[in-house]
Amino acid sequence: MTLQEQEIASGMPTAPEDESAPVTEPVSTGRTGGARAAWRSFFRRPTTLIYLGVLVFFALVSALGPFFVDSPTATIYPKLLPPSGEHLLGTDMLGRDYLARVVYGGQVSLLVGFSVALLCMTIGIVIGGLAGYYGGAIDTAMVKVAEFFQVLPGIVLTLVAAALLGANVFIIVGILALTMWPGVARIVRAEAMRIAQLGYVESAKAAGFRGPRIILSDVVPNLMPPVLVATSMTVGRAILIESGLAYLGVGDPSKPSWGALLNTAQSYMNDAWWLAVFPGTCIFLVVLAVNMLGDALNDAFNPTVGRVK
Amino acid sequence: MKAWAIHVVKLLLSSFALFLAVITVLFFLLELAPGDPVQSLIGDVPITDAVREQIIAAYGLDQPAWQRYFIYLGNVLRGDLGYSYATNSQPVLEIILSRAGNTLALAIPAFILSTVGGIVLGAIAARTRRKWLDAGISGTTVGLFSVPNFWFGMLLIIVFAIWLDWLPTGGMAPYGQAGIQPQYLILPVLTMATTELAYKARIMRSSMIESLGQDFIDTARSKGLSSQTVLWRHAMPNALLPMITVAGYSLGFILAGSILVERVFGWPGMGLLFFDAIERRNNMVVLGVVIVLTVTIIIVNILTDLVYGLVDPRLRARFSPHRSTPASPRSGSGAAPSPKEVAA
Repeated sequence: MTLQEQEIASGMPTAPEDESAPVTEPVSTGRTGGARAAWRSFFRRPTTLIYLGVLVFFALVSALGPFFVDSPTATIYPKLLPPSGEHLLGTDMLGRDYLARVVYGGQVSLLVGFSVALLCMTIGIVIGGLAGYYGGAIDTAMVKVAEFFQVLPGIVLTLVAAALLGANVFIIVGILALTMWPGVARIVRAEAMRIAQLGYVESAKAAGFRGPRIILSDVVPNLMPPVLVATSMTVGRAILIESGLAYLGVGDPSKPSWGALLNTAQSYMNDAWWLAVFPGTCIFLVVLAVNMLGDALNDAFNPTVGRVK
Repeated sequence: MKAWAIHVVKLLLSSFALFLAVITVLFFLLELAPGDPVQSLIGDVPITDAVREQIIAAYGLDQPAWQRYFIYLGNVLRGDLGYSYATNSQPVLEIILSRAGNTLALAIPAFILSTVGGIVLGAIAARTRRKWLDAGISGTTVGLFSVPNFWFGMLLIIVFAIWLDWLPTGGMAPYGQAGIQPQYLILPVLTMATTELAYKARIMRSSMIESLGQDFIDTARSKGLSSQTVLWRHAMPNALLPMITVAGYSLGFILAGSILVERVFGWPGMGLLFFDAIERRNNMVVLGVVIVLTVTIIIVNILTDLVYGLVDPRLRARFSPHRSTPASPRSGSGAAPSPKEVAA
């Protein structure tokens, strides 16, 4: 269970309204030995190694695969061949090697997932950090904007915007980041609020350091663990939403992602199951990997959460 | 009671502001978009400039955007969502209402299935002493949570409709027949429910674990209560509290997800209507669906909030005149930290 889910699990719909939050938890993580130990325990988990392996595999296939597979656009083979030694994933309805199409599709899906998550993390840290540390008007504004994106389901807004603004990969990344950053920002904000009341921030203030400097040197490093968890979950959600959009036909037709392959596969489900099965399996494995890594990261940093005493 | 009333008024006001924000953003987004509403009105037929002028005037498209915005806003507040640019200029609300039933026929069973299933699975995973059962349930839920929902639907079609031929591949009834037949509901409802079920089971599991780890459970056990009583009377109610919020929000996700699920199964509901409207630049219908969806979600959120306030003893205490009474031992620092702590 991630912090985001914990927040929901213990949450009240109107929670963000309350300002006077009592600080109860002691700091358990930070740039101390605790953090290093947590990272060590993270990398020693078998789940971490397995799913890190899965991610590295897909990254390598996307990066190096194009040197080994056929052209994804050459229509030179018989149509709709089932998977075989010759064509590991079969061929599609135009006689293109499906392995090549899946490899190239992965480039788009992974690119979208990771760049959206990085953008969300950056925006989330800046806005959430300022809102949580300073409070006041910035904070109220951020909470309201976050609420806006919470009410309107991401896919609805994204679908409208992407369908209308055009469908190149950068626009999709931009729109997804725009609709998804509040998820990260809310966690940053909550953590920044907690940290801003801790002793070492007090000392830094007493020593005469200014807000921005304190945020950079004390607040941000200490809020990273939950933010990394949220970011890894964002990768998964971004890939899922992108695949949904592409499945609906929103996306760059010259660079079909896994979701776009599923869009074409829909019409051939009767005779060519492999067209639907393989791209979906890839999406599933990548999203599963980032979610499991997020979970493991969360367990490493909050070892006591989620166990019966 | 006064604090309660203030809370409700605040809630209504901020919900209304949100509603206005959604309309405004969507309206101008559609305004900025390329595409010609006149052409979508006529279809792909060449028209003379005179006819074009006439249509533009008839639909008020010659007025500046901000003016149309205020007219539209006024109409929406009076319950008039305008007229479709296509399909014989039917009123948008009429089109949406004619489709809403089909979507609800999927969404309501999916909502119930995912909520009940999530609670049961999550509670079993949390409570069981058999490690493999917990690991199995938890693993399955993470898996289902990571599956692209629409692809899961495609797999169901391939396995149950094409390979096994047990269920139909899509639609609501055999060709040419009206109404919805039950066997046509099974696959789309399952598809719609899975992601939410997985999510709810995850939340329920950790909520239950947290609840079982609280001091009041030890107290109840040490009083000599049977483990069944402890579970059902003490742990369960506390663990269920967060599920109110989760269930409330999930309805919005289920409705939004209907866009994909209805596409997979060719189910003529609101989601498919929305998708077609976007493709055809039928802006009034796009706006109309978003408005209906937003209003539904906002109402559900308000209800969730109110129900939570009624059910959670700590909040009841806050809104009651005797505010100094400390929270009852059963809720003490129960499964859910108080909302103030959550905000932190």
